[in-house]
Amino acid sequence: MDGPDQPGQDGDGRQQAQPDRLAGLMQAGQAGDGAAYRTLLAELATLMRRVVRRRAPYLSPEDVEDLVQDILLSLHLARASYDPSRPFMPWIVAIARNRIADQARRFGRRAALDLEFGAQAETFDAFEANNHADKVVDFLAVRDALAGLSPSERAAVRLLRLRQLTLAEASAESGTSVTALKVAMHRATRRLRSLLRGSDDADR
Amino acid sequence: MRTDELIERLARDARPVRPLAAPPLRAALWLAIALPFMVAMVLVISPRADLVEQLGSSRYLLEQFAALATAVAAAVAAFAAVVPGIDRRLIWLPAVPGAAWVASLGLGCVRDWLALGAEGLRVTPDPECLFYIAMIGSVPAVAMVVMLRRGAPVAPRLALFLAALAAAAVGSFGLRLFHTEDAGLMVLIWQFGSVALLAALGGLVGGRLLNWRHRLD
Repeated sequence: MDGPDQPGQDGDGRQQAQPDRLAGLMQAGQAGDGAAYRTLLAELATLMRRVVRRRAPYLSPEDVEDLVQDILLSLHLARASYDPSRPFMPWIVAIARNRIADQARRFGRRAALDLEFGAQAETFDAFEANNHADKVVDFLAVRDALAGLSPSERAAVRLLRLRQLTLAEASAESGTSVTALKVAMHRATRRLRSLLRGSDDADR
Repeated sequence: MRTDELIERLARDARPVRPLAAPPLRAALWLAIALPFMVAMVLVISPRADLVEQLGSSRYLLEQFAALATAVAAAVAAFAAVVPGIDRRLIWLPAVPGAAWVASLGLGCVRDWLALGAEGLRVTPDPECLFYIAMIGSVPAVAMVVMLRRGAPVAPRLALFLAALAAAAVGSFGLRLFHTEDAGLMVLIWQFGSVALLAALGGLVGGRLLNWRHRLD
């Protein structure tokens, strides 16, 4: 994670000095200084809350807090892997990124369940590419696009793509002929493609 | 639990920890375990009769050197993969010796073909290579996993892929000290193939062996 996501490195002189101070607190923490470690964790909780809200704007305040706690706990478990001769921010940011990506995967699975029940689409701020949160956003774009299909097309996508049934199984379950399912799936694919391309363009 | 309660608990639990050494140092420590084990296995199985003769062959030396360099580089890269925020270029370290290894074996195939024609490229089953490489690589692999678990599992599959590559490359190096199979294509398929297979398996089980959960148990 570079640039603006590195908290404390994009501001005035006071903030410039912050990473060094945090590195000092971390070293003291590694040496067993509980007070310094407590200060470090408290300051990081604030910083990470900001990073998480920015990287995963789709999370509820409770989920944000869970994730911040997950990051702090991970820092604690991995604290031997911090090399005091190296800068502190890239280390903690890499851990935060890893935990946010895991959370995004869990969120994706939950969203897949919601989809089955036709949950309402949500809107998101555009944010940096190349992370797991993006996949979630892609996924939600698909969810939006699904809303634009006819009921029979949506049923075909649900049976054949989401539940991965065979044509025969899907036909038996829905009472629709195999040919009708094939046609609906074909139309749905074309429609989704154009809808997704449209939303992609709208993002730019 | 509220975040401030968690912070309080973690701060109380803040026993001193010794920071991990730099990846090259940890790799050196790992080699100090892996190489003696490999040598012991070779001695138990008994080295090939023509070993001294082979040591005079530049082709044999080049192939063995490339295998060992791949093992060392993969070990450094594996230890780097469990350090959050480290320079990602370190992860690519084994690419150069790995490519040199494949190239040296490929060159061997070409030489065999030029010298012996189609006969030089004959492939016969030699599956025991996989067994021996896995056997010689076993202790190094276990040692590596134990060491990697002290780091942060930010890229578990990658770390385990590199760990298995390092251990299997040591296994392959050891294998050629007792196994008299030097035909380029045979070595490429059965020995390098086994290394690649084991590395891929390592990558597959990475998430199970290295994760944040094992530390919470």
